[in-house]
Amino acid sequence: MNKIEVNGLTFSYEKRASSSRKNVLSGLNFTAEDGESIGLIGANGAGKSTLLKLMVGLLTDYEGELRIGGIRAEKASLADIRKKTGYVFQDSDSQLFMSTVYEDVAFAPRNYGLSEEETRERTLRALESVHMEQMKDRHIYRLSGGEKKRASIASILSMEPEVILMDEPSAALDPKNRRSLIHVLNGLSGTKIIASHDLDFIYDTCERTILIADGRLAADGPTEEILRDQTLLEDNGLELPLSFSRTLE
Amino acid sequence: MHMADALVAPAVAGTMYACSAAAAGWAVKKVQEEDDPKKVPLMGVMGAFVFAGQMINFTIPGTGSSGHLCGGMLVSAVLGPFAGFLTMIGVLLIQCLLFADGGLLALGCNIWNMAFYGCFIGAGLLWRRIMKNGPDKKKITYASVIGCILTLQLGALSVTAETLASGITELPFAVFAAAMQPIHLVIGLVEGLITAAVLCFLYEARPELIWTGDSGKSAAGAKKPKLSFRKVLLALTGAFILIGGALSLAASANPDGLEWSIQKITGSAELAASGPVHAAAGRIQSLTSLLPDYSIPDRETMLGTSLSGIFGGLAVIVLCIAVCYLFGLFRKKGRHEQNQ
Amino acid sequence: MSRINEAVHEIHHLDAMASREGRINRIHPLSKLLVTVWYITFTMSFPVYEPGGIFGMILYPAVTMRAGGISAVRSIRKLKPVLLLVCAVGIANPFFDRAVLFRAGPLPVTGGMISMATLMLKGAFAVLASYLLILTTSMESICYALRLLHVPKIMVTMVLLIYRYVIVLLKEAERISQAYSMRAPDQKGIHYRAWGTLLGQLMLRSIDRAQTVYESMLLRGFDGSFRLSKKQKMDRRSAVYLAGWLGIVVLLRYVSVFKLAGSLLE
Repeated sequence: MNKIEVNGLTFSYEKRASSSRKNVLSGLNFTAEDGESIGLIGANGAGKSTLLKLMVGLLTDYEGELRIGGIRAEKASLADIRKKTGYVFQDSDSQLFMSTVYEDVAFAPRNYGLSEEETRERTLRALESVHMEQMKDRHIYRLSGGEKKRASIASILSMEPEVILMDEPSAALDPKNRRSLIHVLNGLSGTKIIASHDLDFIYDTCERTILIADGRLAADGPTEEILRDQTLLEDNGLELPLSFSRTLE
Repeated sequence: MHMADALVAPAVAGTMYACSAAAAGWAVKKVQEEDDPKKVPLMGVMGAFVFAGQMINFTIPGTGSSGHLCGGMLVSAVLGPFAGFLTMIGVLLIQCLLFADGGLLALGCNIWNMAFYGCFIGAGLLWRRIMKNGPDKKKITYASVIGCILTLQLGALSVTAETLASGITELPFAVFAAAMQPIHLVIGLVEGLITAAVLCFLYEARPELIWTGDSGKSAAGAKKPKLSFRKVLLALTGAFILIGGALSLAASANPDGLEWSIQKITGSAELAASGPVHAAAGRIQSLTSLLPDYSIPDRETMLGTSLSGIFGGLAVIVLCIAVCYLFGLFRKKGRHEQNQ
Repeated sequence: MSRINEAVHEIHHLDAMASREGRINRIHPLSKLLVTVWYITFTMSFPVYEPGGIFGMILYPAVTMRAGGISAVRSIRKLKPVLLLVCAVGIANPFFDRAVLFRAGPLPVTGGMISMATLMLKGAFAVLASYLLILTTSMESICYALRLLHVPKIMVTMVLLIYRYVIVLLKEAERISQAYSMRAPDQKGIHYRAWGTLLGQLMLRSIDRAQTVYESMLLRGFDGSFRLSKKQKMDRRSAVYLAGWLGIVVLLRYVSVFKLAGSLLE
């Protein structure tokens, strides 16, 4: 079964139809199977973040069809959709609003009415999968950028989501933290969509890539194929990833 | 303007806690009625913003010194008076715990002096009235400056009254007030200008963020709480009578404090009714004759302690009404200008 | 070090101290909060002209410092601003109240001198007590205690959020003012032309951040209030601690320790 189904998805921040209305997304089509890892690339303003926000129900009022785990995303189904999807924000400081790592990771299970025992179990499991079980009592503000990012991921893993969406996960990480994040992401099960400008990162974490430009689907295929296509990337405001440009030389 | 624990007697602190708690209870109820879950994170982050903003030094033009932000007016101009008041309580509590700015016991006083006036009088009454027909830069500047000056004057006056009622200092009311009020006139002016600058910027960048009372934010169907002038006046009257009475009782329980309490609190009546200009004049007067001023003839035989306290409280209310009235005149003038 | 940096360091220090595993740290936060407020209230209730009794009040901070392994020097440094403030208010007393109470050798001791000294002691003790509370109790635990005292949930939630974002925004404010001062090296503060934009930018960013925080909460099942954890039970130790100190404080307030010691010696 398809985990994500996007069919003719069109969205605009302006509500009224007028000639000047600019669609951020127009007529997007793609599907994602269970367990797939998909890279979402495109220049600034291409519509990546908007797409992610639609998929998690932070934006509604779209045209077309958007289904997560078979449920159509609409106001009435928001709660169900959000239980199935986890969204990792670009800014970890905004995502992690509780004071300690444990409290933050436990926030979702607790809010979904799990018992303290279950909450604890899930929290520890989530922390383990991002290798942070040692830091559970740390204050968020004492974490490094890489640790914050991993804690953010743990904070949504504790909901045991079927779909994980990430917005620029590798931004502002040093090489070592970036590598450990790749390691963590590759160890996660579930469907993942990773939006990033870091094409090398996409290459290391996703087997499939979707390229959007001006709200339209420009390409959809195996990551390696798309990232090696210099003309395709440059036509859409991107550049060849470093690792490929070096091999080409 | 943070009062330390040592400057308030437990009875005074308790009274002020009761007043602040009542105001906070009202604010909690109002914010809950609004039922806007977005408010909670906004309050939290804005509280942290005030905290950080207070640490930035602003150069005062023409002098070598610098001014700071206090924040009650500023926060309320975005969050509204109720959420703004709760936010300021949070800020004061954390300041008191982390940095020993003010004390746990004096927290009730500090909330009243620094948050209540700014949020309810400054934003709830003044700001809302001025912004009734929609904000513009001139109105924002005007409301911020007048609001900050007025609320800091009220705050400073309360600090003086609370300290004296606690029997802490031997300073006569006139001297103390003459030292406090003019300083806070300047502080209020600077704070008002900073607040105005920030709010004008905000108005230009994102005008929808400015709180304007009922007519403002057309958030879908949300019931906007009304802060009626009458209710606030009533609450204030009640609070002042309560405070005045309790303070005087506290003072009379302390035989050493008795002497000054009567003179000073009745002295407060004279002074409060005449405002900062007279305070400045009083200061000059008291500087020239510090000691004679202290040994004012025996008023204590003329008035009961408790009565004098209430009298002092009433005087402050008169001041409030007078200011609001004056301000009403200004407003008409402002509208007149607009019509032209 | 700039003021903002100092503040950030102080918060880090307090947090590190509060999260230690100490004897005092393990006491239930409600016990510690109540004892602190009780202690401050009774200490402040001493009459100004009775400096003898108030000395006894040193027992609580002294014992807590000893048991909690807290540096006295660092704590005393914390007293400076409050002592200055109290001094400024109390300085008039020796001038106005010149009735000589007794003579210490050739030096006449006046009522004003006594009352000012008492005031300074009160100020010092009060600050010490609340400083010791935050050194041994984390902000989350204090919030939990406030919740137990029926402080409305919305307020406790908000206080926790302020505490969480204080450091984030302090650092942001520091960056902004550094960026400013690097381009205006001769200015001590922020020029008035930049008041609005500088602080306004910070405010706008804060409001945007609040929106993201809200979204992050929403996506994790937030429905208006936090479900706070740490259902710490009031154990026997904490109950004894509470009852013990409440009693001792009252005793110290009404029984003059020094007089008693003096009469026993006689």
